[in-house]
Amino acid sequence: MTATGVAVEPAAAVDPMVRARRRLPPLFLLGASGAVAIALLIPLVFLLIEASGSGVGTIAHLIWRPLTATLLWNTVRLTVVVTALCAVIGTLTAWLVECTDLPGRRIWAVLLVIPFAIPDFVVSFGWASISTWVQGFQGAVLVMTLAVYPLVYLPVAASLRGADPGLEDAARSLGLGRVRTFLRVTIGQARGAILGGCVLVALVILAEYGAFEILGYQTFTTEIFTEFQISFNVSTACALSLVLVVLGCVILGAEPVGRGRGRAVRTGAQAQRALRRHRLGRATLPVHAALGVLVVLALGVPVGASAYWMFAGGVPFLTGVSLLEAGWHTALYSGLAAALATVLALPVALLAVRHSGRGGRLLERSTYLVLAMPGIVIALAISYFAERYAGGFGYQSAMLLIAAYAILFFPLALVGVRASVSHAPVALEEAARSLGRRPDEVFLRVTLPLIGPGLAAAFCLVFLACATELTATLVLVPTGVQTLATQFWAYQQNLSYGQAAPFALVIIAIAAVPSYVLARFFDRLPSRAGIAS
Amino acid sequence: MPEPDAPTGTDRLAFSEASTGGASTAEPAPLVATQGLTTIDLHKAFGDHAVLRGVDLTVPDGAFAAVLGASGSGKTTLLRILAGFERPDRGVVAVGGAILDDDHHHLRAERRRIGYVSQEGSLFPHLTVEGNVGFGLRVREGREAAVTELLERVGLSGLERRYPHELSGGQQQRVALARALAVRPRIVLLDEPFASLDAGLRASVRADVRAAVQRSGATAVLVTHDQEEALSLADVVAVIRDGAIAQVASPRDLYESPVDPDLARFVGEANLVEGTSYGSTAETPLGWLELRDGHRPARQQVVVLVRPEQLRVTPSEGGGPGVAARVVETGFHGHDSLVSLVTEDAAASPMVARVVGGMRLEAGAQVTIKVAGKVHCWPRPPAGEAAPGAPAAEPEGEPG
Repeated sequence: MTATGVAVEPAAAVDPMVRARRRLPPLFLLGASGAVAIALLIPLVFLLIEASGSGVGTIAHLIWRPLTATLLWNTVRLTVVVTALCAVIGTLTAWLVECTDLPGRRIWAVLLVIPFAIPDFVVSFGWASISTWVQGFQGAVLVMTLAVYPLVYLPVAASLRGADPGLEDAARSLGLGRVRTFLRVTIGQARGAILGGCVLVALVILAEYGAFEILGYQTFTTEIFTEFQISFNVSTACALSLVLVVLGCVILGAEPVGRGRGRAVRTGAQAQRALRRHRLGRATLPVHAALGVLVVLALGVPVGASAYWMFAGGVPFLTGVSLLEAGWHTALYSGLAAALATVLALPVALLAVRHSGRGGRLLERSTYLVLAMPGIVIALAISYFAERYAGGFGYQSAMLLIAAYAILFFPLALVGVRASVSHAPVALEEAARSLGRRPDEVFLRVTLPLIGPGLAAAFCLVFLACATELTATLVLVPTGVQTLATQFWAYQQNLSYGQAAPFALVIIAIAAVPSYVLARFFDRLPSRAGIAS
Repeated sequence: MPEPDAPTGTDRLAFSEASTGGASTAEPAPLVATQGLTTIDLHKAFGDHAVLRGVDLTVPDGAFAAVLGASGSGKTTLLRILAGFERPDRGVVAVGGAILDDDHHHLRAERRRIGYVSQEGSLFPHLTVEGNVGFGLRVREGREAAVTELLERVGLSGLERRYPHELSGGQQQRVALARALAVRPRIVLLDEPFASLDAGLRASVRADVRAAVQRSGATAVLVTHDQEEALSLADVVAVIRDGAIAQVASPRDLYESPVDPDLARFVGEANLVEGTSYGSTAETPLGWLELRDGHRPARQQVVVLVRPEQLRVTPSEGGGPGVAARVVETGFHGHDSLVSLVTEDAAASPMVARVVGGMRLEAGAQVTIKVAGKVHCWPRPPAGEAAPGAPAAEPEGEPG
């Protein structure tokens, strides 16, 4: 079309301008989000205050000694090995389930995810109670890999499900073989998800206490717990916590760096074709066998060992009563904490989704800093501060525990609430208002029905996380009160395996079933529900 | 401007009763000189970026108006201000003589009785078709009948129990329209409602939407970037350019007598030819052309607009009167073809002619061209500026 000099298509005649319709967020939303962000960072501030109270020299002296080097070596080598193993296992299993013609895919998908719901300290208990080989470094690698590989499996599976099959076709047409297509395109597309999963795995290992205590493996977290809870050596606990938080920040910082700047783009909005599945052929049977072994190790051993101890020990009658009581406390604290976290996440999610300005994004990002703070650090910061500076206000009351839960699992709540808020676009509220409905009616009849299910899911997610939390609970639970986790822990510490086992089974039961339902719910959401979305 | 004894705008516009009762009370004395919709000097900026820079627009009562503009011209912002979703920085919005927006007042969206149909339809995903259409109706009584009647009007009878995701794009847009019409709005705003539909579907949905709006008696304002849609659908077209209205006219006047060459190119394909006017005629390289505006001063330098369909093309062997030209290329469109031509005059830019039917014109063919009908012209800008047509060639200048 070189000759149509005078005839110009209408669209080209006017300069296309950038459509800039960024609405300024309402002040109360900014204020509320800012308050939430500040509240979340309070433990960090406490930690710094306590550390500076001990004096920089003392802290430096406490950090600069052989113990720190040992802890650092233990923590880092375990983190590296387990993260690498989880990346391989999680990615391979996700690819097998999502991209091949593996028979019984749906059942495998469920079985592979359930171990995620079993608390690490229960997995650890199951293994350690039946084998003396499972201890120290090798035991920690085995237990943690089996307990947390779903953290890689889940995001990678979601990413592969949403992947563009056209890209694989394009790679093949450009002359890449099957293997190179898999490595460069399939894995390349899932890179962000794999990385996100690995970051979560590393953060979990930094924060884990119960599993390592059972296995007798010493990391920063176990040492902080011992110094604070048993030796009452606050300065040392603070100093070590600082190192641990720095480690967490390093891991968090690796995520955006490793993700790269590429983003998935597609031209056109045609419906996506179904993924063409790779044929396993003769590999089908060995793959089944391998997956079977994995599921037995990750799921069968902890459940089986708990069941064995329960029936071998003969459960005393009193267990039933204490189970009910502990269950009630767990439900109460977890419910309140989940409600609090969900409410706190709402303004931040609204700000991030509806007003995607720089300020909102920064605020949202800052709340993810919580991920770098393990439960033990949050717990000791809150407990020590309440005791020392707030005149004992709330000390030894459930309030501190609930606050700690809400802070600890805020990122989890935010992921869920954010997803649900994006289900209620502003355009729908505007449509409702142009039909003559008042803002309160719009909220009740449009906004709430749309975000309600997502809020409920976020609530459940946090509830489950709280119900299976051990470390912060041990520090902050009111004296004389037992939750499921602490009661289990008490029996386990006394080597009363028969009495600990029913608690382990109840924890597994209340965690596994809802986790499966939740996993299905979040699978249907866009795949970038990772930590830095 | 406000009259002290007149009822306040909000009182008159509250429509919770009126929407169900239907019969409107006696029209109050107009505050603004016109019926229908009026905007005066509307300004709106987002940050440093001025989107609207003084929009003056009048749409007569009951008319179907189109606001035509390229993306980024401010047309959606204008619509959102009319709907009450955004507040103008400055200026007045008035409907039926009552002020909705000025420096001191802002009537909230839910009290305006202005319906809004967005590009995506924005149906409530958790409600059925029935629930969506009946959403704005406050009284339960007669609601079902009203919904049935509305769905019939937009051609969707029997789909009451469906959910939005079970509908096609065209059906979703019809439901969105029925939902907006259910509350008997005085004005319906349509924000590119056909842009996301397939070409085949678009024509029928357009016709149905137009008919349904007409029957409801509401004034309609359609925003679009598609000049063909605006010209074929609307009674009156307002072209918005850089945040201000460039021209308001009937589709025919807009097409035949645009206010400037840029606008001529924006609303359709245009051949711009230089010439000299003599009263009601102009001398051009295409011969002596009759001017639509017959009162040009003698010997004025002008630019003449010749639409492609005004160029009659005949093979040279026919030997009729006209200007000799050579075919450069032919774009075949089925019902017609667009033929690029160059005249013998080497200095002239290429022209485009629309040829109907089966005439085959291969590249290189020698033809004779002749202008049919009257043409529009503008005084030519002083020398030194680029010849008309030349700058327009640049966006498509890359060969191949």
